[in-house]
Amino acid sequence: MSPQLIRAFLLTALAAAVAVPFGHFVKPWVGWAIFCSGFGLQMAFHFRHFARLDRWSRAPVVDPSLEGEGAWDGVFARIYRHEKDLQGKIAQRDAQIAKLIAAGQALTDGVVLLNEHGAIEYCNTTAEMQLGLVIATDRGQPIVNLVRQPEFVNYLKAGDFARPLTLRSDRGEDRVLSIFVVPYARNQRLLQIKDVTQADRLDRMRRDFVANVSHELRTPLTVLAGFLETLQEIDVDRSEQQRYLALMGEQSRRMESIVQDLLTLSSIESAPPPENELVDMASMLDKLRRDAEALSGGKHNIVVDSDGRGDLRGSQAELTSAFANLVANAVRYTPAGGSIRLSWQATPAGAEFAVEDTGIGIDAKHIPRLTERFYRVDRGRSRDAGGTGLGLAIVKHSLNRHQAQLDIRSTPGHGSRFAARFPASRVVDA
Amino acid sequence: MNESQHLSSQFDEDLSGLRTHVLQMGGMVETQISAAIEAYSSGEVSSVKHIVETDRKVNDLEKAIDDDCAHLIARRQPAASDLRLVFGITKIVTDLERAGDEAKKIAKGVRRIYEAGQMPSQYGIGVRHIAEAALGMLRHALDSFARLDPQLAEEVIRADADVDTEFKSIMRQLITHMMEDPRTITTSIDIIWIARAVERIGDHAKNIAEHVVFIVEGRDIRHQDKESKA
Repeated sequence: MSPQLIRAFLLTALAAAVAVPFGHFVKPWVGWAIFCSGFGLQMAFHFRHFARLDRWSRAPVVDPSLEGEGAWDGVFARIYRHEKDLQGKIAQRDAQIAKLIAAGQALTDGVVLLNEHGAIEYCNTTAEMQLGLVIATDRGQPIVNLVRQPEFVNYLKAGDFARPLTLRSDRGEDRVLSIFVVPYARNQRLLQIKDVTQADRLDRMRRDFVANVSHELRTPLTVLAGFLETLQEIDVDRSEQQRYLALMGEQSRRMESIVQDLLTLSSIESAPPPENELVDMASMLDKLRRDAEALSGGKHNIVVDSDGRGDLRGSQAELTSAFANLVANAVRYTPAGGSIRLSWQATPAGAEFAVEDTGIGIDAKHIPRLTERFYRVDRGRSRDAGGTGLGLAIVKHSLNRHQAQLDIRSTPGHGSRFAARFPASRVVDA
Repeated sequence: MNESQHLSSQFDEDLSGLRTHVLQMGGMVETQISAAIEAYSSGEVSSVKHIVETDRKVNDLEKAIDDDCAHLIARRQPAASDLRLVFGITKIVTDLERAGDEAKKIAKGVRRIYEAGQMPSQYGIGVRHIAEAALGMLRHALDSFARLDPQLAEEVIRADADVDTEFKSIMRQLITHMMEDPRTITTSIDIIWIARAVERIGDHAKNIAEHVVFIVEGRDIRHQDKESKA
């Protein structure tokens, strides 16, 4: 028997012991009254504690003021200890969960957890940005309600996750996402989302490059082969023959210039860092202006804007070819009567060489790809203008080797501005 | 007690399934429109066939969803917000289907233009721009339906005015072009049709957003600006 029960029993016995003599010697009802009041006091004591416990259990919190007396002391103390332990454990779990969530947030890949109905249970901020989710409001929402592209919906429905899904994101800029689905636990699914925009672009560039080289070389080759066949099989008179030969010469020069540009490009790519010659900008600008005037044949208004300060350090040959290329482009793509402005500005923070024209301009969507090899905004036009499609690729490489940035700004119909920005370390006497 | 709980949760599932179907249909229309815009700016007319085929699927979905709504009303007699949701859905699918039709019109217009000859690129930019804006409106309208977010829906409704203004300025530009050079009239008219379809997509997105406000708040806010102007 527990001590509490013994104590209750003893107290009842005590009440009885006091009541019996009174009942026997005085009046029986006095005895009963004493016994009942003793019993009643005990009941009141217990009821008071019970009421407190009842009140507490409706909103159980860890409350040190929950203290009992007598038999209730132990009960309340044990409840208090238990609650306190529980609270400690919950806090610990919370900390662990918070750590896991922080780890999930730190992932550079997007992660989304889906429950058995395909509803979102959790996603990290990367996934929020990639898929346009807002976890605060979207928890419990079926993911296909928000990522609605049919490819994604069908992929999730088909349930064959052996290969990742490549999805072109329809939110914000043109992103390419690779989505892996990993089933786990009971019918739960984890979406791992990688941003493969860059890889996709490189891949496309490589594919395009091979296709483009073949195409660019084949076009003049077809012309050559055609004329050769004609000359072999048909007797043509001398003047016609001369004309054919001239055209063939032109095409073979074209092929030569493509091969030459390709070689230049690969030699810059594999060459050691450029030498540190002193490049005299005043004479460079003068030469560029004369080249531009010769190329333009007086059809454009060419201006040089420079205060004559500052020179560059780098490879004279590479920089000359890069700048000349920018100038030549400006002349080619500016209709007669337009103006071209070459500017050179050097400050202690860095220097900028810019070519500004009032030409046809470039649509914004082409600008990021402009320096890709053989990338052409308008196929027919740039070939007619005599470009090989490699000019800007070479310019970009040469500038990169001098730690310079190529900045392109353009408004279609109004003109373009190509600027090469050099860091202070490349500038002398600014 | 148990029985009724089971029934109502089944009902909830029916409703959320219906919503997911609507959003799936929305996803198809969004893809259709973005493919049409892509075809317009790249001149890849090969996708036109696919866009037209998707339109058939969108039409089938519209019918299926309407059917589901009718069944749901008949069997469950939804009340208050549930009834608004079902009503709203029948209206949303109508607008979605029409937006899909507009995408088909754009695709066919693109095919006409490119098959006739090159698209003069300087007109193209403006149309592409409002097309992106209209698609963004539709996307936000559907998001607001998925999230039952009336604030986002109101933003969509406000955005419609911008699309309308831009449509008018494209019209003016094209008219000037046609007057300057009558040879461009055929192409310009096709571009006007496309711009018109784009503008209609914006209107449908706005309607969807209005239905969302109705579903969530029970206010019918259609035709309000006209009344306030009058």
